[in-house]
Amino acid sequence: MKVSLSWLKDFVDIDVTVEELADKLVGAGFEVEEIIRSGENMKNVVLGKIVKLEKHPDADKLQICQIDIGKKDMVQIVTGAQNVSEGDLVPTALHNSLLPTGQVIKRGKLRGVASDGMLCSGEELKLSEEDYKGAGVYGIMLMNGEKFPLGTDLNEIFDNNDAILDISVTANRADCNSVLGIAREIATILKKPLRMPYIGFNVNKKVKVGEIVDVEVKDADLCPRYMAAGVTDIKIGESAEDIKKRLKSVGLKPINNIVDITNYIRVEIGQPMHAFDKEYLQGGKIVVRRAKNGEKIVALDEKEYVLNDSMLVICDESKPCAVGGVMGGLDSGINEATKTIVFESAKFMRDNIRRTSRTLNLRSDSSFRYERGIDLDSQRLGLMRALTLIDKYGYGKVADGVIDRLAQEITTKTVVTSVEEINGILGIQVPDDVILDILNGLQIESKLENGVLTCVCPAFRDDIENANDLAEEVIRLYGYDKIIGTLLVGGNQTLGGKNAREKNSDIIKEICVSQGMSETLTYSFTTPKCFDILKMDENDCRRKCVKLLKPLGEDLSVMRTTLAYSMISMLASNNLKSNRNARLFELANVYIPNATSQNELPDEISSLVLGCYGENEDFFTMKGIVEVILKKFGIKAEYRRVDMTYLHKGRCAEIVVGNECLGYLGEVHPEVANYFDVADRMYIAEISVDMLNEIADFGYKFNPISSYPPIERDIAIVVDESVLAGDLLKCVRNGGGNLLVDAKIFDIYRNESVLGKDKKSVAINLVFRLADRTLTDDEVNSKINRILNKLIGEFGAVQR
Amino acid sequence: MKEKIAKIIEQAKLAIEQSDTLALINNVKVKFLGKNGELTQLLRGMKDVPQEERPMVGKYVNEARDVITQLTEEKTKQLAQAEIDEKMMKESVDITLDGKKTERGSLHPCTLVANEIVEIFTSLGFTLGQGPEIELDKFCFQMLNIPPDHPARDMQDTFYITDDILLRTHTSSVQARTMLNTKPPIRIICPGKVYRPDDDATHSPMFQQIEGLVVDEKVTLCDLKGLLETFAKRLFDSNTKVRFRPSFFPFTEPSVEVDLTCSVCHGKGCRICKGTGWIEILGAGVVNPKVLENCSIDSKKYKGLAFGMGVERVAMIKYGIPDMRILFENDVRFLKDFK
Repeated sequence: MKVSLSWLKDFVDIDVTVEELADKLVGAGFEVEEIIRSGENMKNVVLGKIVKLEKHPDADKLQICQIDIGKKDMVQIVTGAQNVSEGDLVPTALHNSLLPTGQVIKRGKLRGVASDGMLCSGEELKLSEEDYKGAGVYGIMLMNGEKFPLGTDLNEIFDNNDAILDISVTANRADCNSVLGIAREIATILKKPLRMPYIGFNVNKKVKVGEIVDVEVKDADLCPRYMAAGVTDIKIGESAEDIKKRLKSVGLKPINNIVDITNYIRVEIGQPMHAFDKEYLQGGKIVVRRAKNGEKIVALDEKEYVLNDSMLVICDESKPCAVGGVMGGLDSGINEATKTIVFESAKFMRDNIRRTSRTLNLRSDSSFRYERGIDLDSQRLGLMRALTLIDKYGYGKVADGVIDRLAQEITTKTVVTSVEEINGILGIQVPDDVILDILNGLQIESKLENGVLTCVCPAFRDDIENANDLAEEVIRLYGYDKIIGTLLVGGNQTLGGKNAREKNSDIIKEICVSQGMSETLTYSFTTPKCFDILKMDENDCRRKCVKLLKPLGEDLSVMRTTLAYSMISMLASNNLKSNRNARLFELANVYIPNATSQNELPDEISSLVLGCYGENEDFFTMKGIVEVILKKFGIKAEYRRVDMTYLHKGRCAEIVVGNECLGYLGEVHPEVANYFDVADRMYIAEISVDMLNEIADFGYKFNPISSYPPIERDIAIVVDESVLAGDLLKCVRNGGGNLLVDAKIFDIYRNESVLGKDKKSVAINLVFRLADRTLTDDEVNSKINRILNKLIGEFGAVQR
Repeated sequence: MKEKIAKIIEQAKLAIEQSDTLALINNVKVKFLGKNGELTQLLRGMKDVPQEERPMVGKYVNEARDVITQLTEEKTKQLAQAEIDEKMMKESVDITLDGKKTERGSLHPCTLVANEIVEIFTSLGFTLGQGPEIELDKFCFQMLNIPPDHPARDMQDTFYITDDILLRTHTSSVQARTMLNTKPPIRIICPGKVYRPDDDATHSPMFQQIEGLVVDEKVTLCDLKGLLETFAKRLFDSNTKVRFRPSFFPFTEPSVEVDLTCSVCHGKGCRICKGTGWIEILGAGVVNPKVLENCSIDSKKYKGLAFGMGVERVAMIKYGIPDMRILFENDVRFLKDFK
C-alpha cells in the first residue's frame, strides 16, 4: 500500500520527520518497505528569468544569457537552444546541480566563455507535455506565467517535496488498506486528532436518483450492502491537477475525471467504487445476482469470461454488466459520450471475490481490496466522498438521494475481558490507564469497571474478537521492548528428548559420515521423465506417483517414489564438475500414493540412498558401507541377485531380511550413466529406513570369551563359476554347526587349463573353537568331512 | 701367572674395543671365555700350578672372567643398540606425508543447524514432533485459523495435490496434529520440509522449517521471549539479544517477528544485517485461542506459545552462505566444508 505524506496530512497533523514516522509505523506493526522522495532526484534547479541575451563571439549557434535568479548577481549561462528570448522564465540548473536524469551540472567554459550552469529542457527534467505545458517542445522548457518568485526551487514549484511510504499491511488489518486507515493509526501513534474526510455537496433536487436507476439485490449473502447514486450532466475530461498528482504519486495512471474519482476513493477511503454509464443499463435497472452457469461477459480487459453460479454479477434488465467487485463489462464503462452515471459503492464478501478472481484468473485493484475484507460503514463514506469531489470540481450534477440496499443491520461488536487476562497473556503489568488510553485512541471504546474491561469495536476493526486481539493492540502501541524474558516460570516440567526412530536417523547419518559420505539435500519433487530415464517397466509400481496440480515446471511436477534418480543426478552433476570422486548420502521421504483413494494422504516412507563414484570405488566398497549400517542395527541380510532396470545386470543385489526386501545396491546401468554423460562407474544403494527401524535389534548382549585355543583349517574346492560365495559359505556354516566360529573365503583362483572351463577354485579358512574345552583333531576332522560332503552334494564341488 | 692373567685382560680389552659388530664381539667372547678360550685354558693348566698358589690363581682367573664378561656384555648391548638405531634410521619415514584414513564425510549445513537447534530445545524439555509433508488443508490451514479463501492464504502460495491435499507450507501443521492427540503440558520442536512456489536467491520451492510449540497453564509472552533468548544465546553467543516487532500470523495473537542481534557484527551494522544490526530469524506469538479450541484444548485453562524459523536462512547466516541455491547444488567441494 503506497500512501503519500501530503495525502496523510489531509487527515492528521504529522510533526515528525518521515523517517521517524516510518520507525513508529514499524514499531506499531506496519512494515515500511520503502520511502520514496519525489524531490530527491533533482537538486539546485531554480526558476530563472533571462534578462539579457547575446550572441557568443566565437560560435554561431551559442547564446550567452544573463539570468536573474532573485539574487543580486546575475548568473551567466551559455546555451545552444534557439527557442529562448529575453524575458522568458526558464528552469535554471545552477553550478553543482543534479538533474532527474542523473546528470550533475558544474561550472565550465564553452568556447572560452564562462557558463555557470545550464538551462533545461523538459526531457532533461524528465517531464512530458502531460506533466507540464511546454515540457514537450524541442528546446528549453519555457515557464512563462509561473507566479513563483525568481530563484524558487523547481521541486517547490512542482510540489515535489512529498514522500511516498510503501507500507506492507498485514492480512488482519483490512482497514489499513487506505490513506484514511493509515492516518488513523498515525493519529493514535502520534496522539493527534483524526480529521475525517470532508463531505459536502450540492444536490440537484430536480432529478431523483430513482429516475436514473433502481437496484435489486437478489443474493444478499454475497452482497450485504449495495449503495448507488446518480450524477447527470457529466462532462468527461481530464481530472484536476491535484487529483492526477495524487493518483500518480501512488502509482496509478489518471484516465478520466470519473474513473479517477473511483480510484481516488478506493485509495483514500478504501472503498472500491464503480461508475456505470446509465445509457448502458437496460431498463434503468441494476440487479445483483449469482451468475448463471455458462453465462458470459467481456470484461474491460477485452477478454471473454465464462461464469458460473458461485460468482456474483451486476446486471441490468437483461445482461451482466460487471463481475461484482472484480471488473466491469467492456461497454458498461465511462466513455467520451457519457452523460449520466450511476456510482456503485458496495460490500461484496471477501472469500467469494477471492474465489471468483482466482477461478477466472482475473484481478483488479478493486478485487484485491475486496479480498482483504471491507466493513459495512465504508460504502456510505466512499459514496458521499465521491459525490463531494464531483461537486467540488464541477464534473456533473448530483441527483437527489441515494439508494441503499442494506441486508443486515450495522452492529458493533463488544468484547468483554479483564485487565488481568490481558496482562496474563503479556506477562507484564500494563497500567490500567495506559490500556484504556491505547484502546480508546484506536477508537475501540473501552471501559474499565472492577477489573472488567468492556470494549466496543468499531465496524472497521472486525479483526478484534478476543482478549488476545486486545492484548496485541495494547502491546504493539505500549512497546514490545517492555516484554522482559522469563523462562517458562509458570510452566510444568516436561521430559523432552528424541524417540528411538529419531535417534536411529541420527545413527544412520553418523555411520554414513564415518564412511566418508557427505549428506545431500535434494528436492522432493522431480520430473515424471525420471521413470523412463531409469528404464522402469511400464507397470513398475513406482511409476504411480503424487502429482502437483500447478508445479513450478514439468521438472518439478511429481513427488518422488525413489531416491535413486536424485542420487544419480547428484553423482552426475559432481562428476561433470570434474570432482574426481564423491561419496554421497541422503535420508529423505519417498511418497507412495494411497492405493485405495486419491483423497487419502499418501504414505511417506523414510528412505536412505547412498551413492559413490571414483577410482577406488566398486560394488564392494558400496556393499561394505551397507554392511556397516546393517551390522549397527543388528540386521543379518542376504544379498540376492536381482534385475533392476537402472542397475548393471551382473552387479546388483537385493538386500533381503527374512522374506522382506530391505533395499538394493549396485552399479548404475551403463545406459543410465550415459544419459547423464558420466563415463565413470557409479554405485548406489537404497534402503527403507522405516523397515530398518522395524527390524532393528540393538539387543547388545554379553558373549563369554573362550579361553581354549582355536583350531584353524583351510580347504580348497573347485566349483562352477556360477556358484555364489554367499551360498558356499551358507553351506559351510550349516555343515560346521556350533563348533565352527568363523568361515572366510580368502582366495578365488581361476585357470582354465588346470581347473577346466567355467570353474573356479575357492579357498576357505575355517576356525573351530569351543567355549568350555579344547577341541580334538578328530572332532574337527569329522566336521570338515561333513562340510565337504555337503559342498559336494549341493554344488558338485571337488576338493583340491 | 698374575702377569699372564693381566695380559689376557689387556688383550681382551683391546679386542673388545676393536670389535664393532655383534659377530666380532661374539668371537671375542668365544676366544676368551669359550670352552677353548684362553681363560679356560688357564684353568685347565691349573694342575701345573703349585698347590698353595691354586686358590690365588683361581681367584685371579675368576676375576678376569668377570671383568671380560662384563666388558663384552656392555659392548654387546652397545652394539645391539647401535644396530637397532641404524635399522630404524634406515626405516625413517616422511612424517609430513598424509595419514592413511577413511576421510570422514559431512552432514549438510542445514542438518548441522537443525541438529543444533533441536538439541537446544530437547535439553529444555521439548520432544520432537512429526507430521506428514503432504498434508490435509484442514491441518495446514483451517485448524490454524486460516479458513478457505481467507486473505491470509496469500501469505503463503501453496502447491496443491487435490482440493484438500497439499504440500504443507509450514511446519505449523504439526501443531494442530499434536494438540489434537496430546494432553498439555506440550513442548514440541518440529523440524521438517515445507514447500512454497517461490524460486530465487533467497527462496527455494522446498525448504526446511523448525516449529516450536508450548501449551501449558500460565505461560506468557515474556516466557516466549525468554525461551527465544535462551535459544539465541546458545545458537550464536551469550551476548545475542532478542527483539520483538509486531506482525501478523493467523494462528498467533499477539504475533511478532523476532530479530536477533547480528551474529557477524554484533549489532554494529554490516552487510549481512544490511546495516541495521539486527537479523530477522523467527516468527512467533501467543497461540490464538481459536486455534486451541479448534484442537480441543481448553483455551480458558491453557495458553500456547509458538515459534517457527527457516533452517536454510539460519544456515546461510551462520555459515555466511550468500545464495540459497548453493545449498541444493550438492557440490562435494561445498559439502566437505562442513566436515
